[in-house]
Amino acid sequence: MARNDLQGSLDLLVLKTLSQVGKLHGYGIVLHIQRASDELLRVEEGSLYPALHRMEQSGWIAAEWGLTETGRKAKYYRLMAAGRKELDQAEKSFDQLVKGVRAVLKYA
Amino acid sequence: MLIFRRFANLFARSRVEREIDAELRSHIDMRMEDNIAAGMSAEEARRDARIRFGNAAVMKERVTAMDASLAVANTWSDVRYGFRQLRRYPVFAITAIVTLALGIGATTAIFSVMNAVLLRWMPLPHPQELYYLHLPIGHPSGYGASQTGDDATSFSRPTFEYLRQDLRAFSEVMAFIPLSNDKVAVRKGDMPEEANGEMVSGNFFSGLGVRMRLGSGFKMEDEQHHAPLVVLSFAYWTHLYSRDPGVLGQALYIKGIPFAILGIAPEGFSGVEAGQSTDFWIPLQSRPELNPWGNSPDVNTLYGSPNWWCLRLIARLAPGVDAQRAVAEATPGFQAAAYASLGKPDPKQPKVTLSLVAAKGIQGLGDNYREPVLVLMALVTLVLLIACSNVAMLILARNASRRREFGVRMALGARRSTLLRQLLVESALLVVGGALLGWLFAEGATRALAAWSQLEVSLAPDGTVLLFAGTVSALAALVFSLAPLRAATNAPVIAALRATAATSYQKGRSGNAVLALQVALCFTLLMAAGLLLRTLMNYENTNLGMRTDGLLVFGIAPQQAKTNEAKFAFYRTLLERMRGMPEVESATFVETRLGTGWSSNDEPTVDGVKVSFEQVPLRTNDVGPDFLRTFGIPLLEGRDIRDTDTATSQHVVVVNETFVKKLLPHSDPIGHLLGNPKKHPYAIVGVARDSKYRSVDEAPRAMAYYPYTQDTGAPPTLQVELRTKGDPLSVLPAVERVIREMDPNIPLEKPMSQTAVFEDSYAQQRLFSRLAMFFGLLAALLVGIGLYGTLSYRISRRSTEIGVRMALGARQWQVLGMVMRESLLIAGLGVALGIPLAMLTGHFMGSMLFELEPYDRWTALASLVGVVSIGLAAGYLPARRAASIDPMQALRSE
Repeated sequence: MARNDLQGSLDLLVLKTLSQVGKLHGYGIVLHIQRASDELLRVEEGSLYPALHRMEQSGWIAAEWGLTETGRKAKYYRLMAAGRKELDQAEKSFDQLVKGVRAVLKYA
Repeated sequence: MLIFRRFANLFARSRVEREIDAELRSHIDMRMEDNIAAGMSAEEARRDARIRFGNAAVMKERVTAMDASLAVANTWSDVRYGFRQLRRYPVFAITAIVTLALGIGATTAIFSVMNAVLLRWMPLPHPQELYYLHLPIGHPSGYGASQTGDDATSFSRPTFEYLRQDLRAFSEVMAFIPLSNDKVAVRKGDMPEEANGEMVSGNFFSGLGVRMRLGSGFKMEDEQHHAPLVVLSFAYWTHLYSRDPGVLGQALYIKGIPFAILGIAPEGFSGVEAGQSTDFWIPLQSRPELNPWGNSPDVNTLYGSPNWWCLRLIARLAPGVDAQRAVAEATPGFQAAAYASLGKPDPKQPKVTLSLVAAKGIQGLGDNYREPVLVLMALVTLVLLIACSNVAMLILARNASRRREFGVRMALGARRSTLLRQLLVESALLVVGGALLGWLFAEGATRALAAWSQLEVSLAPDGTVLLFAGTVSALAALVFSLAPLRAATNAPVIAALRATAATSYQKGRSGNAVLALQVALCFTLLMAAGLLLRTLMNYENTNLGMRTDGLLVFGIAPQQAKTNEAKFAFYRTLLERMRGMPEVESATFVETRLGTGWSSNDEPTVDGVKVSFEQVPLRTNDVGPDFLRTFGIPLLEGRDIRDTDTATSQHVVVVNETFVKKLLPHSDPIGHLLGNPKKHPYAIVGVARDSKYRSVDEAPRAMAYYPYTQDTGAPPTLQVELRTKGDPLSVLPAVERVIREMDPNIPLEKPMSQTAVFEDSYAQQRLFSRLAMFFGLLAALLVGIGLYGTLSYRISRRSTEIGVRMALGARQWQVLGMVMRESLLIAGLGVALGIPLAMLTGHFMGSMLFELEPYDRWTALASLVGVVSIGLAAGYLPARRAASIDPMQALRSE
């Protein structure tokens, strides 16, 4: 999958990550998506932080400062109720998209 | 919640940025650590981390944009952008702001006047319950309420006593009577002064609910005992005592009688006289020196003449009673009280009735200002309309010329709503600027108006005015928001980008309609201004029937003289001293100063036959010897009043032409008798030409001049009239010296030139005509600018077309004519629209005009010439520019 195609799904991936892991900082989210997708997906770091802050302003996720395992200060994000709802929505519409694309590919 | 955080972020921007920095740095650091753990060198690790992260500055900017959210932060940046835009076109911005400020300022100033004159309640508790008592058809004794100012507002003492105890209708009825129809002599220590004073009932302050600044108000006992106590107004306390709180109990001499200062009224309360401020109040008095209205006690006294209608009344309604019910409740008892002392009512005459007038603005005592103020308000609204439409067209034109800019921005991805929001912000900035500047204008204008109008009311803008100005500005902002909507959003991106001068020229029909409407409004305003100017000129050019220039007048009251003999002696000596002065050509007295609006009135009895006042209202005045000569009133027959006309000589009178025409048309008037034949009738000894008495605009009336020496009692005050050589006011110091030699306690009351007295009688008309002139000129200027701006703009858009025309052989004069025709067409259309509008306005102004038709032909013609000149002037410059277009240049610039 090309990098650009990830853009629309970035919100979905971040929300899903947070719903699975709980609290995580931006760098952790990047690593998690990379690992969970078997290195198939690479989050463009330049897009991640604006997205995180946008979602925070929209009330989907909340942020707080915490310490990493190595004792470094980092900003941790966690999922809020509104974000959970958003995640459901996004998952459903992504499924639809995948179904649609598959159907097209079958006949193509 | 979110919006608050966004606001918080906006103001705590630096803190937010620091946090973002920290977050992004921690990300890069973590990546570096991992890289080093994976075996990279420190340098490689940092390089890799940075490359993966991308441009840190751009990222930070993007993250910040997310945080310092959209709406709020963008509005702020819109405002800043708007400021920058306006700064880039300073001429546009200044023109728009000044135009708006003139419109809003003028409207606000006139509204302030309207507020003070028609709308504002008194600064008292529950002011809506306060009503002036009026007699709508005048009072019952037949002719004028002798020497009490206005017979529609004067009540007799028995009727007052009845009304104040009628608790079903009124909880309180307060009486107030001026001590004089002008100022009275007041002395503090050795300093003679004059001031406006009233005597009032004991419940005056308590009934109105006035909370004293210092000391206390009167009690009912003070009225019963006619206590020698005085309450000062805040302004007079300031003027006389510099707000010294220790004045309570000190003596103030009023007409030479000591009164102890009991209290100081609060700031802002200046009494209940309409359009006038009262300086001090005393309880109702029975002393002859303090007779109501300064009248001679020999004729009527407050407590001795039940049929003297001389008290003014203001009442507070009983709880739960409205004005209509109060009138219904009080009328039967009031009529009974009135006729108890008057005797049986005349069945042929309508019975005396009562009415209530809300104590609001200054209309309580006369509607003189109502119509003019409403007309002025209407005129100034027209000016505001012109100003607003000018600015709207200005904005429209500018936005149209920015279409290419909008097109580019939209092509680059700007949203239509973003552009629109930006335009709205720019308009709002203009309106806010205009409103603020306009408020400053209004402040200055109201101060000037207060000085010119000689209205003793505060015109200072208050809450109501502020609300008004705010509403007007908001409306203006709305209008200007609609204007850019059209220009901006209708611009299709491609067309706007491709647009060149040739294709973007539109006919602008709606623009022409607005311009024509402006011209119509301007025509109306010029017409109104012209009518008022001509009215003023008619006032100024009216023949008064006398020579006022060179006449000095001042009032004088012999305070020390107690008896009639002593007073007459004082007046005689005074006249001799005045005549002895080298600067004085001749000197005389009048009891009622001419040109003040006051007059004495009587029913004439000629040769024993009484004529009713309705048939021939007779005006009278007591005068001194040499009256006609001093005033320069031509004598038609017989003789002037002389020194030899004394109390003991034969009683004589000089009458005027109208008297002879109305009462003695068929015989030689000399020798006929005027007045009660049983009690010293007055023999007519002279006939004078008609002259003005009360005011400039009065119609001639029958007039009788009696020698003051032959009146029943000596007048308490006389007006001294001196014919001087040269400037009358320059004689004043010499006159003051002579008077001080006679009695150092006596002030010269209101010394002025007689010319100024008559001029003051139409000061209101002068003020209104000046204001209307100002509005007219302002409108002409605004319309001229608007027309000029629009035409120039069109020329600049059409330069190619004109270039082509000229290249094809059009002559300069043809191009000139083409533009001028457009300008004159608009002016002509405007006049066609304006004529009915002007006629309507003239119709409403009818009562403000003097010796002038509302549809005055010459005024209409002058207004027409004015409008056409504006059209010519506004068209000429753009037309010249169009005619001087170089075809080659114009075509090449395409």
